[in-house]
Amino acid sequence: MAQSKLDLLQGTLDLMVLRTLSALGPLHGYGIARRIEQVSGDKVLLNQGTIYASLVRLQQRGWIAAEWGVSDNNRRAKYYSLTKAGGKQLVAGTENWDRITAMMGRVLTMRRGEQ
Amino acid sequence: MTQWLRITASRLRAVFTKQRLDREFEDELKHHLESLTEEYAASGMSGGEARRAAALKLGHPDVLREENRDQRGMPALETLARDLRFAVRTLWKSPGFTSVAVLTLLLGIGLCSSLFSVLNGLILEPLPGAREPGRLVALQAPVTYPYLEHYRDRSGVATAAAAFIGPEPFGVSVGSAANARPERISGHLVSPEYFSTLGVAPLLGRFFAPALERPGGAPTVVVSERFWRMRLNSDPHALGRTVQVNGRPATLVGVAQKGFLGVFPANPADLFIPITADAAIAPELAGDVLHRTTDPIFRVLLRLAPGVAVPAAEAALEIETRRLDEEGGRRDPNRDRQGRLARLILAGGTTGMPSEQRSLLIMTYGLMMGLILSFTCANLAGLTLARGGARGREIAICLSLGATRFRVIRQLLMESVVLSTIGGGAGLAIAYVALNLLTRSLAGPAAFPAEIPVAPDLRVTLLTFAISALAGAGFGLMPALVSTRSDLVTGLKETSTAGRGRYRRFGVRNLFMVYQVAAAMTLVMIMGFMVTGLQRGTNRDPGFDTAGLYLFSLDPARDGYSPEESAAMFLGLPERLGRLNGVDGVTLADQIPVFVNADSAVSTTAGDGQEVVHQVAMQAVGPRFFATLGVPMLRGAEFGDRDLRSDPGPGAMLPVVINHVAARQLFGDSDPLGRIIRKDERIFQVAGVVRYGKPAFFRNEPAATVFPALTTRNFRRGPAQGSTVVVRARKGVGFAAIKRELEAVDSRLTMFNMRTMQEDLDRLNRTIEYVTAFYGGIGMFALILACIGLAGVTAQALVQRRKEIGIRMALGAQRRQVLRLVMKDGAAMALAGCVLGVAAAMGVTRALASLSAGFAQNLAASASDPVRILGAPLLLISVAAIACYLPARRSASIDPLKALREE
Repeated sequence: MAQSKLDLLQGTLDLMVLRTLSALGPLHGYGIARRIEQVSGDKVLLNQGTIYASLVRLQQRGWIAAEWGVSDNNRRAKYYSLTKAGGKQLVAGTENWDRITAMMGRVLTMRRGEQ
Repeated sequence: MTQWLRITASRLRAVFTKQRLDREFEDELKHHLESLTEEYAASGMSGGEARRAAALKLGHPDVLREENRDQRGMPALETLARDLRFAVRTLWKSPGFTSVAVLTLLLGIGLCSSLFSVLNGLILEPLPGAREPGRLVALQAPVTYPYLEHYRDRSGVATAAAAFIGPEPFGVSVGSAANARPERISGHLVSPEYFSTLGVAPLLGRFFAPALERPGGAPTVVVSERFWRMRLNSDPHALGRTVQVNGRPATLVGVAQKGFLGVFPANPADLFIPITADAAIAPELAGDVLHRTTDPIFRVLLRLAPGVAVPAAEAALEIETRRLDEEGGRRDPNRDRQGRLARLILAGGTTGMPSEQRSLLIMTYGLMMGLILSFTCANLAGLTLARGGARGREIAICLSLGATRFRVIRQLLMESVVLSTIGGGAGLAIAYVALNLLTRSLAGPAAFPAEIPVAPDLRVTLLTFAISALAGAGFGLMPALVSTRSDLVTGLKETSTAGRGRYRRFGVRNLFMVYQVAAAMTLVMIMGFMVTGLQRGTNRDPGFDTAGLYLFSLDPARDGYSPEESAAMFLGLPERLGRLNGVDGVTLADQIPVFVNADSAVSTTAGDGQEVVHQVAMQAVGPRFFATLGVPMLRGAEFGDRDLRSDPGPGAMLPVVINHVAARQLFGDSDPLGRIIRKDERIFQVAGVVRYGKPAFFRNEPAATVFPALTTRNFRRGPAQGSTVVVRARKGVGFAAIKRELEAVDSRLTMFNMRTMQEDLDRLNRTIEYVTAFYGGIGMFALILACIGLAGVTAQALVQRRKEIGIRMALGAQRRQVLRLVMKDGAAMALAGCVLGVAAAMGVTRALASLSAGFAQNLAASASDPVRILGAPLLLISVAAIACYLPARRSASIDPLKALREE
């Protein structure tokens, strides 16, 4: 079952969450999970609950902050928002990701006999 | 790093806000689930379908909760806390086991902790403030100053050497007011190198220097930080202030660093006076002490050169001393029992002692602690094993439900660690109380203040908890390993009468038991030796009537008397006090110590002209001393006023009285009257024999004592500890009347160490009782533990062999036969343990005897003492028999029919 989902690198989900919050502003867990699913096409999350472990991790590192608020459908929900440190981390993480993908891309597109 | 800290802090916070975070997470999940359900419902699903799909999309709530908790908190810590809670609950549910275990641990760890405290305070604690204290040694016997110079300059074993005298009391008052009442402060007279040899730094000002402290110069003084703090109110401008010492002004030039109380701080010194000072300020320094070669009064402190061991230094100093003695034509002055001249004692601790005595003490204490701890653990391991048997089913269920063996062992270990921590904490409290009692029982008027820091300090506390943890692991691990090895199927099949197991004669538990009995036997025997040794040494009947005997001390030299004034005062005092109404007799003595140490070497000439050295106690006494006490002379006569008034020159024959023990030791069966005893350059002639003497520790009889006569010379020299006045008075006369009379003699005179003779003896007896109780307590503790163990083994055997007994009874076995069957193994274990224990005790006492002369004497005396040889084994065997019998008795109540039906 897990094979059908993308096996993600450690920290990838965290980076996605940071990016989502940076793009959409403060959001609750359901909203973040839904947005990631929409963008990634259902390939990232094993199930939506997985997002919560990532949210705790990011909070511990001080990259996101949480606050209780009221959602669109008039329910109490916990809203997460990007902190200043989180913004910096997003930049650093994105650069890092670009470096890795570029490198991996070069390595994996190597042709036979290529120097 | 800061990131890690932030995460840990956040996780820790989560541990303590667990409930709120759980609640919040539930709310979050609820919101998520409801939002999802709405989303699906909006896409056209029915209510039930939407809910199911939403639940599936979100994931299993239990899994999510666990993920959340693991991520946000400290899972390892929380599991540990859970184990802890469970362990406490389990222990709480079996109060019988728990209280026995805690009590056992409390006593075991309490004893260990007390023993270690004493060891720590007496031996392990280094000299405060000293640099490299391990290299500091002191000569045991005092020498003259020229000897010290030779040792320092020629022996080549020491990098630094210093001379000191003390501790000596000084009458000290602060400030220039001459009318201030002086206080007795203990201090050292030191050569200028004293502080640099020890490696101590001044807190304020300077220490002594050869260039500044010249004979005849202005008197200077250095004080301890404690003195500066308590008597000078930590005055930062204290340097240069005048301190009155023995009625003479001296200038304060320095304060030593905090904690420094001189070498051998068990007898602390708060005041330091240079040995170049005038005899007016310190009467000990009278008579050109720095140049004369007679009357050795200086103690020598040496810092051994790197690479020089104590025995090598001793050998070198021995040769040097012998050479100096021969050159000076001196007789061997301070020979010990082995005929050695230069014995070294270690000077880097709170008390000074020869290195072999240090090893002996460390070995003895270590051995006792090891024995106590190991059999405490053996006992508890036995108890826990028995309980592990009863809990076999519980453990089997845990294992069959998928718990790893490691997990179950961890749980079981947690229980034993909880037990041992509780026991350790309580044990430390007990040790604290016991040691306080000990210190208080030893406190009281003494010639010198003694401060032995035996109260448990940080090191003792840490060691106690380390011991506790070790004990917990020690007695917990083995049973945990054994009980988790159990076969699941048999474990689960066992019914409510679980814990029978298979009876194994040579099982681990029985081996533990034999060890326990053996260890108990060893301890009981060693303690028996100590206790009976102490008791025999204590003569509860002092041999005279103590009622109405008052003792007090005077030290006129510290009150500003000149030697001549001092002698005149003492000569007149007995008569003056004797005229008081109700006073029957007055006499003098140099000092009356609580414990008598036979630490003076004297020699006699045997029939073949050979010189024989003896260790005796020496105590100078005045006229009619024994008559005042009411002790009759066995032979000859005691001293009269003529002896007191005499002023014998060097080489004069001096009369002595000896006690009956000294008479036997020195002269055997021959008549001691008129015989000669030599001590240094002094020659004594025996004038009388008396049956009197205070007991010495661990001896069967009073110490051999030689009583020279107090003479005018004694008063002129100013005996260091003052002189004791003994007054026998009728009812109604007390210290008040004596004090009034003394005031009339001279208001300058300070009375101190006032006590009655009965109080003096009581202090000795109290100390002996306390030490007896301590040693006896250790023995009793060992005995009781062994009995608990034996009773437990027998009871368990009874349960395990219930069916076998039922069959035997059904086949016609008699009650007596069954009893024998059940008790046989217990008795065999007890006997085996006894034999091993006696052998071990013999070995240990031999080893101790080879290290300590006092112990050897005690052991030799006990060789012919049936109570000491047979007492302990008989006691142990009979108690063991009872311990086996009590549970075995229940075998008679076994109903064969019931026992056979049980399955």
